[in-house]
Order: sequence, then C-alpha cells, then structure tokens
Amino acid sequence: MRLRDCKEVLEMSEFNIIGKRVPQKDAVEKSTGAAQYVTDLKLPGMLYGKILRSPYPHASILCIDTTRAKRLPGVKSVITFSDTPQIKFGPLVDDWYILAKDKVRFIGEEVAAVAAVDEDTAREAIELIRVEYEELPAVFTPGEAIQPGAPIINPEYPNNVVSHFKVERGDVEQAFREADLVIGDEFYANQVYQAYMESMACIAQSDGRGHLTLWLPSQVPSKTRMSYAKALGIQPRDIRVIRPHVGGGFGAKMEYDADLICALLATNTGRPVKIVNTRMEDFEAGNPRVPMSFDLRLAFKKDGTLLAKDLKALAGNGGRTVYGPAIMSTACYRIDSLYRIPNLRADGRLVYTNTVPTACFRGFGNAQATFALESLLDMAAHELGIEPAELRIKNSFNNGDTSPHGWFISTSGLADTIEQATQAAGWNDKKRNKTTRRGIGLACTNHVSGNRGFYRPFDGSSAILRVGESGQAVLIQGEAEIGQGQNTVYAMLAAEAAGLRYEDVTVAQVDTLIGPFGLGSFASRGTVLGGQAVIAAGKDAKRKLLAEASSMFNIPVEKLDIREGVVCRLPEQTKMATVAEVASHYMFRQGGCPLTGEGVYVPDTVVPDPVTKIGNISPVYCFATHIAEVEVDTETGQVKVLNYFASHDVGKILNPVGLEGQVEGGVVQGLGWALMEDMVTVNGKVQNPTFLDYRIPGVRDIGKIHVSFVETNDPKGPYGAKGIGEPALNPVTAAVANAIYDAVGVRIKSLPITPEKILAALEHTCML
Amino acid sequence: MKVNIKIMVNGDPYFVQVSPFRTLLDVLREDIGLTGTKKGCGEGECGACTVLMDGKPVNSCLFLAVQAEGKEITTIEGLAAGNLHPVQEAFVAKGAIQCGYCSPGFILTAWALLKTNPHPTEEEITTAISGNICRCTGYQKIVEAILDAAQRLQGGVGNV
Repeated sequence: MRLRDCKEVLEMSEFNIIGKRVPQKDAVEKSTGAAQYVTDLKLPGMLYGKILRSPYPHASILCIDTTRAKRLPGVKSVITFSDTPQIKFGPLVDDWYILAKDKVRFIGEEVAAVAAVDEDTAREAIELIRVEYEELPAVFTPGEAIQPGAPIINPEYPNNVVSHFKVERGDVEQAFREADLVIGDEFYANQVYQAYMESMACIAQSDGRGHLTLWLPSQVPSKTRMSYAKALGIQPRDIRVIRPHVGGGFGAKMEYDADLICALLATNTGRPVKIVNTRMEDFEAGNPRVPMSFDLRLAFKKDGTLLAKDLKALAGNGGRTVYGPAIMSTACYRIDSLYRIPNLRADGRLVYTNTVPTACFRGFGNAQATFALESLLDMAAHELGIEPAELRIKNSFNNGDTSPHGWFISTSGLADTIEQATQAAGWNDKKRNKTTRRGIGLACTNHVSGNRGFYRPFDGSSAILRVGESGQAVLIQGEAEIGQGQNTVYAMLAAEAAGLRYEDVTVAQVDTLIGPFGLGSFASRGTVLGGQAVIAAGKDAKRKLLAEASSMFNIPVEKLDIREGVVCRLPEQTKMATVAEVASHYMFRQGGCPLTGEGVYVPDTVVPDPVTKIGNISPVYCFATHIAEVEVDTETGQVKVLNYFASHDVGKILNPVGLEGQVEGGVVQGLGWALMEDMVTVNGKVQNPTFLDYRIPGVRDIGKIHVSFVETNDPKGPYGAKGIGEPALNPVTAAVANAIYDAVGVRIKSLPITPEKILAALEHTCML
Repeated sequence: MKVNIKIMVNGDPYFVQVSPFRTLLDVLREDIGLTGTKKGCGEGECGACTVLMDGKPVNSCLFLAVQAEGKEITTIEGLAAGNLHPVQEAFVAKGAIQCGYCSPGFILTAWALLKTNPHPTEEEITTAISGNICRCTGYQKIVEAILDAAQRLQGGVGNV
C-alpha cells in the first residue's frame, strides 16, 4: 500500500481504520490450513496420553490394578491418585483432585491415565487397567438432590447445596400485594453442550527441573496458571502457558482437569505428552451449560409499570464445581439491569448431582434467566393488553441510571434497539396482519462487558506495543483470541491509537512467559477491557514516537502528528518522516531497544459486596433486541425460522464484519438451544454424545438473519464500544418461544422447544 | 500387522506403513504431517476432515488409508500454490472464517461444488455444505463467500 500523504488522510474521517470492514487478521492462514491449533502440534519425542474415566455415576473405588497396563510395550507411565500431588483444588470450590481419590461422582470422572508412544498403545493400556468399584446410590436432578435423605455427593456439603444466593431490594411482599397484575410461572433451561469444533486438548512438557510448559486452547491462559499451580503444589512462575490458535470455546475452555493429567504424565516421563479428547469424551466430561429451573413471578401496575420480581432458581452443578456458583448467582440478578424494577428478590441454589460438571457457556446464567423473564414478560403483555415492545420500552433503563444493585448504566440503547429491530422486522405490520401458523416474537437482553467479581485480585487489562526498526509493530497482551476476531479488533485499535498502518500491526500469540497477565475471554470483556489497554499502549507508543520525531527535527511535539505510519508537521500537514524512520532512529540510539508503548486499563468497577451484593461489575453494559419470525407445522410440530432480526447496542461499531459474525453465530447457537439441542442424560449417562445424535444447527436449520446496530458511544468503552459475544445469544430462546406462541397459541416453558412438546401442547389446547 | 501403501497427496507420492484400520485422516495428519485437515468428530458428522478424493469431497475420517491407494487426494494445503485460490480469497474477504477449524472442510466442499456447478443458487450451496458444521459463523457469511467465489471464478480471477 502506498503511503498516503497526511493531508489526504486527515481529511478522510475521524478514524482511519475503526469502523471499516476488516477480515480477520489470521483468516488467510486459517484458509490455507497453515494455522496451527494445539491438536495440530507435535513435539520431538512426544507421547500420547489417555484417560481412564469412571463408568459409574457414583461409586467407591475399592482398588486399581495397573500392573498389566504398565507391562504393555510402549507404555511410559500409568498414574492413579497416589501418583498425584493429592491436593484439593478448584476454580471456585476445592472439590477437585487431579485423579479420583476414593470415589467417583460422575460418569467420565478421571480415574487413571496413561502415556504411551502412540494413541493406539495408550488406548490399549487404558483397557488393561482394572478398577474395582462399589456402586453408591446416585442422584441425577437438582430437585431430587435437595430432598431429605438424598445420597450425599460431597460430605462437606451435607444437603448437596454447593451455593445459595439470596438478594432482596425494596419491599417485595408489599409490591405484590399492591399490584394490579401478578403473573408467575415455571421455566426450565436445559443442559446444552458448547460444541466448539476443536475438542479439549493439551500438550505438556517438563524441563525436568520443575518447570512446565503447557500448550492450551485456553480462554484464560494466565488465570489457569493460578489454579494449576495450586493443584500441582508448585508456583505459578513454574508454569508457562502458550496459546496457539483455538478452535472455538464459547465458555468451556477454562480450567480443565485433563491439562493437569497431561502435566503429570509429562513430568513423570520427562517427555512431551499430548492429550486430545475424543468427541465423546468431550460430550461426557466437558464443561456443559448449567441447567436451571426457575420459578418466576412479576408484579405490574395496570399501565405496565414493573413493580416487583421474585425469582427462585435451582441449578445443577454436576459432580464437582467448575463455575456453577457464579453462573447461578448471575442468573439470579444480572437481569435486574435490564428493566427498572424497584422491588426485587432472588433465591438461588446450586446443587450437586451425579452428572457431568457444568460450567460457562455464552451467556453465563444470564441466558438461562433471560429465557424465563422474557417469556413471562410476553405473557404479561398479553394479560395487560399492552404491546410487548411497548411494555419493554416503558420499563427500560436509560442513560445514567443505576440499578438497585449499584450497577451504573452509563449508556443504554435498549429502547433504540427495540425501535430498530421492530422497524427492520416490520413488527407492527406483521402483528396486525397475522398469517395462520406464522408468528413473530420479541425478546430483549442486557449483558456485561467484563465481570469484576470473576477474579478477585484484579480487574482490567494491559498491553505492550513494540514498534520495530521497519515500522512493524507487535502487540503483546494476555487476552485470548478464541476465534471471535479479538486480535483483529486489537490490531485496529493499536493502529488507530498509535497512528500506524493496520497492516503493520501483528498480534502475538499469548505466551505467559512474555506477555502481561490477561484475564482472558469471558464475560464479553475482550473488546472493552483489553481494547482500552491496547488503545493506551498505542497512545503511549505514539507519544514516544512524537517525542523522538520532535528531537530529530527540532519541532515541538504539539506541532507533530502521526497518521497511518507517517509523521507530519501541523498545521500544514507536511510529511516529515515515516514511523519506520523514527522508530529505527529511536532503536539505534537506544542500543537496539525497540520503542515500546505500554498500556494499562483499570476500570472503576466495584466487586459486589459479599453480603449486600451491591457493586458495579462492568465498565459498560450491553443491550439488544431480537425478533424471531417462525412458521409452525401443526401436523408435525416442526418450527421453521423464516427470518430473524437482531439489533444490538454495541456502543460504537469497531469492525462491522466481526460484529455481524458474532451476532449471526450467536443467533444460530441460540436457535440450536431453542429448538434442537439437549444433552439427554439417563441415570447420569449422556445418551447422545455424538454429533449424529446431538444435533447442532446446520445451514439448513436457520432462516435469514438480519443484523443491525445502535451506537451509544459509551464514554467508558474503547472509542465508545461495548462487548458483543454473549448478548448475541441471550435473547434467542425467548424470542423463538414468543414467536411460537404468536403463531399457534401454545406457550412452551421448557427448552428445547421440540416438535413433541409443541404437539402435546396443541393437543392439550384442542381438548380445552 | 501393518501394510505398506503409496498414496498421492497434493500431487506428491507418500509411502507409508499403516495398520489396516488407520483412517486416511490420521495418516494425513499424523504420518504425513498435513494438519490443515481437521478432526472434529471422527465419525463423519462434522465435515472438518473433508478432503478431495479424485476431485470429490469425502470425510477422510470415514476412509481407511488403504482405501486411498491409487486415488488422488487433495487437502487444503494442496488447493493453491503460493497465492490463495479464489474460494479461499472469498472466505477471507467475506468474514466466513472465525475460529477457522471448520474452514478447510468448507473451502474444499465449496471448491468441489463450483467445479461441477460454476453458477450455484443459494439453495444449491446450502445443499452442498449441509454436511459441514460450523459453530462460530452462523453460516450466512459462508454462503455469501461461496456466492462471491463463484463470481471471482467467473471473472477469471483464478481457475478451478
């Protein structure tokens, strides 16, 4: 690309690259197969690990005999509990051991492991391990697990309740007494699987002196070191995590036990070890969504004003705790920053069951609660005789509002997204001129861009932008690209802030030996928190470049600017030098040290008080409105999504291609949950652990998706932007449920909305 | 018992000693080291392992390596030398790639479609890619990319 002269560039727009349609930075290498994922890597001398998993949902381990496995030629290590550090640990609750101690709590729990010269030998060795179990009474649903006399899964929690979250604001009882309309119902959000295309994988290598290197497809490369160090009885500094390309995560790829097993096998053998889950292992022992049932009541004035919300939640933790407690509490109260409701009460319990441990999945509890709230609001709108869109606008939060839990909503584009989505969908027209068996449904959502409570020691992000002698820049940071396009936005932000050309900025893969401690990809935080740090690093680099140019040309700094890799003199915008010339001048003057911009962003978020729950967990808050248009076949119960409209308050459009991709992908993932996906579990055993039996949407299962954006230019967002990952999925299930009701008059309150459920409900309606 | 086989991959001959049960996918990835072909499920349900066998897209996880003897295999690495193929260009330009794990499979499937049907309708595209799963993009941009690729090929930007 030729260097544009400064004048031309300055006259173009406020931004050089922000707002442009930019394909993913690494799309070319992904299109040629050159992009390397953990599953693709092979180190010299590498061994292959396999895990022996429990076939029982709840059982005592009486004895394990590994003799035959150890004797098999090619086997280099066989480990059981006694070969592990025997330290209890866990991301939130210390109820993990690396390998099961004396009992197993779910089918798929890790009991023993093998490292061998190839996968076939490792698999054969696993089959040679003999374990004697004594089955224990098991319990599979949260409802059963809280009954008196239910089998106890963790003796430290004698009623199986892992965590109990309660919050109350205002006077809920009085509000319900004085309400014109009280409406309530029960809803169920089922357990679903993230179904990222690259299954869980790890490569571990030990240097023989206690230092480990892990190659992980991790969403939280820096943070895993903290839990893993505890589990292994070493220091975080002894663990280096390298994150190559990641084949999707959607919340699942955080702490994972197989990584630690791999680390132990590598330590034992002194050779690199690779463990890759089979797809079946990933279904049976991955980190699926926390299933939740809700008992939700709402109180309204006649005019539709929301007075009170009363929520009871019961959530399934599985056999050990991943992030369930935080996900359950999120379901209880994150949604209270969507509508102004003065009187609030939530009471949620997370319960051990003898099933696969549950964890983060796009939406983090808010997606589950949104299904309940947005379904019930639709029911209330019918009761009140108020248009569903109007009912939501009437109660929506506005710019500068603070929620009853202390969350400061600097900007809210909720009402604007309702307006935009209804216009795009032709909502009023379609509502007035109804076609038989066709329906249209609307649902809204709010979400965070960061979660102050997720990692207590700190919030924020940092980045280093290193500008080399040719004007090439490398952005070094610890946040985690997992396929969502984060690195592309970071390169855009760095280029914009530093005045560099976008194509000159490379984003380094995460390596915890080199980069800053990044909290990683969760809570839709990457764009906002990481992005602010990148801008700060870009500005710092620009300041240093300007100072260097100032001394080179003896021109005051205020009279200089940099745009698209060119340093120019103000106000006449004369080209003085390229960034390459200035950066190399700096480097050669400094003994070869590259010019480096450092950026730190520490948001003014507030950790929720453990007792009052008052806090402010995110620097900015996201809002969205979705509208589904469906056709229901009343003979078969099949639902066809004809059109789907999604309008998102994204603060500021940084990269339209990335935003559309996130929304389209989130909508389709949501459609899968709404209509198709369900981990069918019988007696603790997943019955459909394959893509043949667990169907996720294919290209034929979706309608046309229409995406639009509202820009609220949040003063706390990077150039005004907000997050997008999770809000893209949150409202889908309710929008579809509401559309089905509009189409055929049946209200399905339990996910997924299968043809069977629709037919049964239709039959029931006919009989009435 | 292992057997010696010769397979042609991207125009190059490879002599490998494999167990009769070893899949073509594992041989490509593990023995030959062409890791652009991905393993998503190992059961023929996701299409991430799609390669071209004599020009036709197949799930390499459902073929045994011994069945590939005498066939011409093309993997994503062999689609274009040096520059990107127009199908790859279109996938990049249209934002049809997110995590990228499914992309080689989609690109080869699209290549095979456009080879036999240079002007596909949207319906024909969805039929062609209905055996490939993507969890990131929601498919819309993939369909757009294949339409765009058809145009690029028509415009003589590249040759299938």
